[in-house]
Amino acid sequence: MKRSKIWFALFVSPILLAFTVVVVVPMLIGIYYSFTNWDGIRSGSWVGLSNYIKVLTNDKDFFKSFIFTAKFAATSVVTINLLGFLLALLVTRGLRLSNVLRSVFFMPNLIGGLILGFIWQFIFTNGFNAVGKFLGVEFLQGWLADSTTGFLGLVILMSWQMAGYMMIIYISALENIPESLLEAADIDGANSFHKLIHITIPLVAQAFTVGLFLALSNSFKLFDQNLALTGGGPYNSTQMLALNIYNTAFRFNDFGVAQAKAVLFLIAVAAITLTQIYYSKKREVEM
Amino acid sequence: MFKQKTISKLLIIVMLMSSMLLSACGTKTNETQGTGSDKEEIVEVDIFQFKVEIAQELEAAIKAYQNDNPNVKINLQTVGGGDDYGAALRAKFQSGNEPAIFNVGGPQDVQDWLDRLEELTNEAWVDKALTGVLSGVTVEDKVYGLPFNMEGYGLIYNKRIFEAAGIDGDKIVDFASLEDAVKTLDAKIKAGELKEEFPLLEAVFEYAAKETWVTGLHTSNAFISQEFNSSLDAFDAKTLEFKYADQLKKFIDLQADYTSNAKSKNRLNAVDYSTQVEHGLALERVAIIQQGNWVFGGVNNINPEVAENLGILPMPVVGVKEDSIPVGVPMYWTVNKNKDEKVIDAAKDFLNWLYTSDTGKDYIVNKFYFIPPLEGYGDLKANDPISAEVLRFAEAGRVMPWVFMGYPTGWGMDVLGVNIQKYYAGEITWDEAVQDSITKWQETR
Repeated sequence: MKRSKIWFALFVSPILLAFTVVVVVPMLIGIYYSFTNWDGIRSGSWVGLSNYIKVLTNDKDFFKSFIFTAKFAATSVVTINLLGFLLALLVTRGLRLSNVLRSVFFMPNLIGGLILGFIWQFIFTNGFNAVGKFLGVEFLQGWLADSTTGFLGLVILMSWQMAGYMMIIYISALENIPESLLEAADIDGANSFHKLIHITIPLVAQAFTVGLFLALSNSFKLFDQNLALTGGGPYNSTQMLALNIYNTAFRFNDFGVAQAKAVLFLIAVAAITLTQIYYSKKREVEM
Repeated sequence: MFKQKTISKLLIIVMLMSSMLLSACGTKTNETQGTGSDKEEIVEVDIFQFKVEIAQELEAAIKAYQNDNPNVKINLQTVGGGDDYGAALRAKFQSGNEPAIFNVGGPQDVQDWLDRLEELTNEAWVDKALTGVLSGVTVEDKVYGLPFNMEGYGLIYNKRIFEAAGIDGDKIVDFASLEDAVKTLDAKIKAGELKEEFPLLEAVFEYAAKETWVTGLHTSNAFISQEFNSSLDAFDAKTLEFKYADQLKKFIDLQADYTSNAKSKNRLNAVDYSTQVEHGLALERVAIIQQGNWVFGGVNNINPEVAENLGILPMPVVGVKEDSIPVGVPMYWTVNKNKDEKVIDAAKDFLNWLYTSDTGKDYIVNKFYFIPPLEGYGDLKANDPISAEVLRFAEAGRVMPWVFMGYPTGWGMDVLGVNIQKYYAGEITWDEAVQDSITKWQETR
């Protein structure tokens, strides 16, 4: 008993120390700054709740960003998980190329968000444009020049990048389904669609909890891809929350207000993802 | 017993490792103290500057300076771009690792950083400064910054295309003649007359509306500078009248109407700097772009023949000032007054050396390709064609000041630049764009 406590302390303390130093302490300092008018140079003076009042009553752009982010998150959570799950189904069928395909699908995840953003920017603005001109398809021309194509661009980029990661999670869940259950269903005469709906999906529900959570929180917190692909443009219509906060801080030098936004952002993301986890957990099936 | 020993060993290892990690951050200061204990004390000067283009050449200049001054060690760090530099500089100061020499952009920066700025009024170069270049960094008759260089922008055009179309760039001195030339050129491009010589040529202009600094800062400056005499005036102005908004509209309409996106102007909002400069001007896809002398290097890397044949046309403000281009100082060098006296003196001496000694001057003009902001450079003249053009305008007095450094923080790019994007996209009318910009200016002051 005593010994296990020592072991516990031994393994937990380094990471706890790191977590305190790089997450907890900065967060507390950040919350303090949200009550000041700090400009990033001189330490600001205490201004009470006025930063929060400013954000909540007088910042249309912040709410526009919030709505855009929510729309983006809702769409990309679906596309990322759907794609990831389909890819996982594809590579667990025992094809000869399975292992190669797994690496290929996972690869985009290894590239940094900024680089991906710039690469896709090239594809959307130049590649799509050239194809569009060649085929005479108007829709493919002028991508990222309006908010609709900016939105679609972000969804495509994120789905492409994150689907491979989700695939890995779903693969491990799929491989944990006992063969015997599927065989029994075969004997009972279930076709593959029935097996998918009634056996596979309920049994990978745990993985869905994780997958939805990761996709949701990552979509909400998205920054580098947003910065690199559209930079919030045109006219800030594709500016997501994290970028809005960054701009408030580093373009308008309103660090206090930016901190207040960040605190609100933290609360919102926590509330949304915790709700999601609560409901997803309910659907999980114990084997 | 054995197991407890292993645990304690492990604990020791963990503690040692973490102490190594922590101490790794602190070693630097020890080193500097160690080297300083020789007979002559070494003074370390940290420079944190923003001009990426000159990073290598500046490093060479530093070496030359160190050869003459063996007791000074200068460490150069460069972080590029306008916004990124501001953010990085703040981070640098927050980290406690304050540089001795850093850059500020204008009145707003000077006000923000005033607690850190060493007064430079008594430096030797102050008397040599060209008229007006110090106004942005002067507070109550005290000078706080040394100007980097002079930069100018306008409508940069490809002289070969103009010649082939039979247009004389030198004769373009007002809006009417500019519009005529643009129309002539456009007609010839559409008729395919220039196809043989310039196969890629598809439009007169390319305009990077995605880069809100191009629209919101540079374009607008030509028109707002008719309202304010200097960035300081703009900085002090509580309200903006926007007297020349109509002229601004004319000018951005002209630039948009003769691009390849003329029929769907919202697509201009996706045109970025490299599309405008490298995929536009340098490839001879377009004939005119609104940019400045800084594009020379980029164009020269792609197509030296184009680079050697570039000229500048004025940015006409109809009925007010039609034959001029904006010329100004992009950034200033400043010295951190919270440093040791010795470091401050060395920093001042280095800046003085760089801008007034013969070796330094050579670097400024021939290696950095700067247009010097000081007098006394004699025969040393910028040798790239665009800088030469800027100089030609400056010498003829056909210039207007840069006032955008005095706009409210973020206003130029994130208010006016964004409104111009909305205007191009058809989201709002021009009047709405102007009204909103005026209101937001007032709100921030």
